[in-house]
Amino acid sequence: MDNRYKKRFEQLNIQNRKAVIPYSMLGFPNSQQSYEIIRQMIKSGVSALELGFAFSDPVADGPIIQNASYKTIASNFSVVNAFDLIADVRKIDEDIPIGVLVYFNTVLSQGIDKFFKKAKECGVDGVLIADLPPENSMEVQPAALKHGIDLIFLLSPLTATNRIKTILAHAGGFLYLVSRLGVTGITERNAIDDLSLTSLVKTVQEQTTLPICAGFGISNPNDVQAMLNIGVDGIITGSRLIEIVQNDNREMLEQLDEFFNDMLAVCAGHRTLPLLK
Amino acid sequence: MMNTGRYGQYGGIYVPETLMPALVQLEREFLKFKTDEENNFYYRELLANYAGRPTPIYYAANLSKNWGNSIYLKREDLVHGGAHKTNNAIGQALLAKVMGKTRIIAETGAGQHGVACAMAGALFGLKTEIYMGEIDILRQNMNVQRMELMGAKVHAVKTGSRTLKDAINEALRDWIKNVEHTHYLLGTAAGPHPFPSIVKFFQQVIGEEARAQVLLKNKILPDYVIACVGGGSNAIGMFSAFLDDRQVKLVGVEAGGEGLDSSKHGAVLNKGTVGCLHGMKSKVLQNEDGQIQEAHSISAGLDYPSVGPEHVYLQEIGRVEYTAITDKEAVQTYYELAQSEGIIPALESSHALAYAKHLCEQNKNISVLINLSGRGDKDLAEVEKYGQSL
Ligand SMILES: Cc1ncc(COP(=O)(O)O)c(C=O)c1O
Repeated sequence: MDNRYKKRFEQLNIQNRKAVIPYSMLGFPNSQQSYEIIRQMIKSGVSALELGFAFSDPVADGPIIQNASYKTIASNFSVVNAFDLIADVRKIDEDIPIGVLVYFNTVLSQGIDKFFKKAKECGVDGVLIADLPPENSMEVQPAALKHGIDLIFLLSPLTATNRIKTILAHAGGFLYLVSRLGVTGITERNAIDDLSLTSLVKTVQEQTTLPICAGFGISNPNDVQAMLNIGVDGIITGSRLIEIVQNDNREMLEQLDEFFNDMLAVCAGHRTLPLLK
Repeated sequence: MMNTGRYGQYGGIYVPETLMPALVQLEREFLKFKTDEENNFYYRELLANYAGRPTPIYYAANLSKNWGNSIYLKREDLVHGGAHKTNNAIGQALLAKVMGKTRIIAETGAGQHGVACAMAGALFGLKTEIYMGEIDILRQNMNVQRMELMGAKVHAVKTGSRTLKDAINEALRDWIKNVEHTHYLLGTAAGPHPFPSIVKFFQQVIGEEARAQVLLKNKILPDYVIACVGGGSNAIGMFSAFLDDRQVKLVGVEAGGEGLDSSKHGAVLNKGTVGCLHGMKSKVLQNEDGQIQEAHSISAGLDYPSVGPEHVYLQEIGRVEYTAITDKEAVQTYYELAQSEGIIPALESSHALAYAKHLCEQNKNISVLINLSGRGDKDLAEVEKYGQSL
């Protein structure tokens, strides 16, 4: 089968649109609602999915995603349940790229080959292991290759030029740009820091055709605009979505729809604005 | 990077990309530091005149008589600050200074590492912030006061098990955010490479001194060398000097909590399985989904669901035996040392002592060297509470 990421980013490119990739935690706030939330994403027309496995010690995550993790684990939602849920989601849409975000211990606990095999069977396209740097990717590369799954890697504002090559040597799907120092969460962005990412994005783009999507601290249309201004191909948004879900009310799905539409609007037909001097 | 810090298949680097550059820098600067004469001289000078090294080896005559064998104590309880943690804190703070960092952060369980960092922070003029689980703050309150007195800020960690594991998570999150100017002064021989090597380097002094001291005293090496194992820093510091002395039996003692058959213990080497936590591959206490389980120990310093990677390796190759001692046995030995020798041991160290007692019950004419990793004033309230709960 064709690579879904490749296909989707090519389509977006033709339409002159940027990708909106929402992150949600599998099984949060419960299995049924988690399914409905993801179905809403697809209905709203997001570009790809980023689905997280709850882990007891998520060091790259801020309080919002931490709490969602703790609650999900406490509800006994298991890794098997998570894979079943992904399989159900895949039935809704045959074409949308599905990425999963995990910590390495979750993969190890299932057995590396078994994890990738299962992921493939459920319709997963990409796996991002938050705490597995490319230096150690040999551990999972054979399984990823064997089962035809892209390994997604992180770039950070501190990624030095000499590390870009190492990362690109292993990366597939898209590159996940951690767009600010710190963990996931909703914080005000710093315009100067944002602009300083421009050269990193440019340097990376000169060396690869893989799209770059920015995540971490992207919770509203302004954040999205700031990221598009530095030249990325899409954005990933997570904590704000979980916040909406947490506020648990009957209009939750409508609110999510509105949230996705706001983000999608910025990403549709977008032309890069001139950078402020 | 020069290497990825493996001990067999254990160790390595498992961290988000944002921390990679800091670990690369840390490895580079550490390798330079190791061979830099000036910095090493300064470090040795501080160990001698600030921290009070070398610490003595004490032949515990009363205990030896009671237990029917020869007992030697390496007196790390006499290091300034009250535990071996000072050796590492001074070393890494100096390294942080050399790297041009202006702030140090640290996790702490028993509070001894937090105290050592607060001391080092004051000494070197580094802004110091300590992450400590809410439960540990309650059970080691005196140490919190000491840290604050020396100018450190103590953050109560309220997530997860609210003990050492989560304090490390919070410290890592802080580091991810402030990595440019902050050094994470990790307190045990665990975490991502190069931390296990760095902490071992700064704790090796324990074993080097002890080996020379027993040889000077007895002309022969002890039959057993025993240390308690939390993350494993005092143990690796002690064992490293004896690894090539095949006739010396090395024993690491973990937290047996309420017993290895209960779910309440911290005996990772005895009961854990291979996994990945806090940037390293090691053994962890976990369920079938890889969710990390809470550890339990009366001693906050041993209350950790993983362990330094080199210990897993030393266990695997059979060079070191790892065993466990329950809360109850540790508390009994805490009293026993206080009453027989007038030395109050840390509850952590009491685990090593208690295992030595077991050994002495089963053997004759053995000599045992125990690392008394810290003093136990900090544990008075906890021990009293435990006594009342029985
Ligand atoms: C006195 C003492 N001994 C031992 C430990 C356990 O740590 P490690 O295994 O790194 O020596 C601690 C930790 O807080 C401690 O304070």
